[in-house]
Amino acid sequence: MGNNKRITLQQAAEIIRDGSSLTFSGFTIWRRPFAVVFELIRQGRKGLHLIEVNGGPQTEFLVGAGCVDIWESCWVGHELYGKYGANLSRKVGNREIIVEDYSHAEMLFRFAAAASGAPFAVTQTSLGTDIHNPEYDMLGRAGLRDGKRIARHKYQFTEDPFFDAGAQVLIPAAKVDVAVMCVQQVGEEGTVRVSGQYYSDPEAARAADITIVMAEEIVPEEYLRRESDRNTIPGFEVDYILECPFGAHPTGMFGRYDVDGGFLKDFYGRTRTQEGFDDFAREWIFGLDHMGYLEKLGWPRMLSLKANTALNYSTGVKRGQ
Amino acid sequence: MNKDYANPEEYGLADLLCCAASREVQDNEIVFAGTGLPMVAIMLAQKTHAPNLKLIFEAGTLDGRPPEIPTSVGDARCEMGASRASGLYDAFSIAQRGYVDLGFLGGAEVDEYGNVNTTVIGDYLEPELRLTGSGGNPDINSFAGRTVFIMVHEKRRFTERVSYITSPGWRVKKWPGGEFVHRRELYGAAYRGGPSAVISTAGVFRFDDESGRIYLDTCHPGKTPQEIREMCRFDLDIARVSGETLPPTREELHFIHEVLDPEQIFIPRVKPPST
Repeated sequence: MGNNKRITLQQAAEIIRDGSSLTFSGFTIWRRPFAVVFELIRQGRKGLHLIEVNGGPQTEFLVGAGCVDIWESCWVGHELYGKYGANLSRKVGNREIIVEDYSHAEMLFRFAAAASGAPFAVTQTSLGTDIHNPEYDMLGRAGLRDGKRIARHKYQFTEDPFFDAGAQVLIPAAKVDVAVMCVQQVGEEGTVRVSGQYYSDPEAARAADITIVMAEEIVPEEYLRRESDRNTIPGFEVDYILECPFGAHPTGMFGRYDVDGGFLKDFYGRTRTQEGFDDFAREWIFGLDHMGYLEKLGWPRMLSLKANTALNYSTGVKRGQ
Repeated sequence: MNKDYANPEEYGLADLLCCAASREVQDNEIVFAGTGLPMVAIMLAQKTHAPNLKLIFEAGTLDGRPPEIPTSVGDARCEMGASRASGLYDAFSIAQRGYVDLGFLGGAEVDEYGNVNTTVIGDYLEPELRLTGSGGNPDINSFAGRTVFIMVHEKRRFTERVSYITSPGWRVKKWPGGEFVHRRELYGAAYRGGPSAVISTAGVFRFDDESGRIYLDTCHPGKTPQEIREMCRFDLDIARVSGETLPPTREELHFIHEVLDPEQIFIPRVKPPST
């Protein structure tokens, strides 16, 4: 035991190989593992298959950079700071990416199924919608449903055989190679303590074959084990850990820093075209490492995002118009 | 008390929508709301006529009492005063289990049966524009006792058939064939109701219980039923109009602008008349 799970940012990105299926911690514009996402773009990763409970800026960066071939999820955008995923929309229009639509609860239940070792989940959500339109099975249309990592069917209908509750939808487990988490604290042996809402992190970490945890700080295991009721993910589910302060920027982290709305708005505004994205990536990703990125952001900006420790959010950011 | 209605120059359209939406909430209800105007509307209800409503945000805060508006449902501000900070599994299980009385949602397109599209504009296989996608819209609309939509009113958005049914209304598609049936037939034991109102920038619409068809209930000040009918691609029923949408009260405007959204994140402030 001990420190043998520690890796560098560069190594974390190297574990995610071309063609891997991948998922992330967080929710829309919160706790996304951006330092790893930027490193994947620097390393020129190709053919990624993103399976996300919901998408967000991390999706938009990876899609814009051409790292992604398949996206299975339910939503993408930047909340208040960009109304939809312009990069994904552009690539769907150009047929450069395959999108498989599910509902939010369906994606979540798919992860919960994978996390419990079940092949599928059962639910009644979204009955009657075009999510279940058989014509819109995009992975099936592309001939990718091999029944191994990608399920043989997008969904199946059945009737409740136990209590006569009517039509039920079976949805396949979300089988992912790698989950990358971005959290406040991880212990030296991998125990994760998430503060605030934990979104779908426990399901994502357990569902993945390999779980990488990037934390604001690595703390002594013994410290976390003193109050195990406050911990979120057991250490044995975690394969690799790394410490990376401000690793979620431009997304926010409960108790540590707020969302950098200005950065996201700028990204959304400038990356509606591929040329705009390439230009943005040259400015903010290529030629920098994480410390260089933070230096470029600068202390005044980072301090304005810093959360008040009593309120858990920043009182220094300007949120409105 | 509470009938101190504001004059037209004292409020904007966003204020009117927010107040109309807020009035759909009853006290003690469990309400599930999305980011933006829906969030302001339910928090306004919590500050005025529904102090005991229970607020659920899908990112995982249960029964929160945030003093100021969160930027989104994942925001740290959602947790202020919450009964529990958890995750999506709790939030969506609670919905599927049938706890949620009312859901507040948005949409890009709505049809005459309350089916809502937030996925693509145009043919799904050859989309003109890919939108945000479903998010939790279909899940809440599948399981809440009733749902209220807040939408921008444009003719192309109020359409006979939406490009893609993201979220189920009163008459939905029965797969694999795709024929339209009443949602009661499809949802069986999970059936608890459906869309109850659409609050657009033109008026407030409701749905006939049996046919599931939309009708105009109130027109926003300055709009006539005939004008609103012209703003729909379907044949809008205007025979049941009950009057004009009530304006915001001064108390409601105070809560919106001084308490909930002083930073003007979602609701711009209309300058008071300089008398």
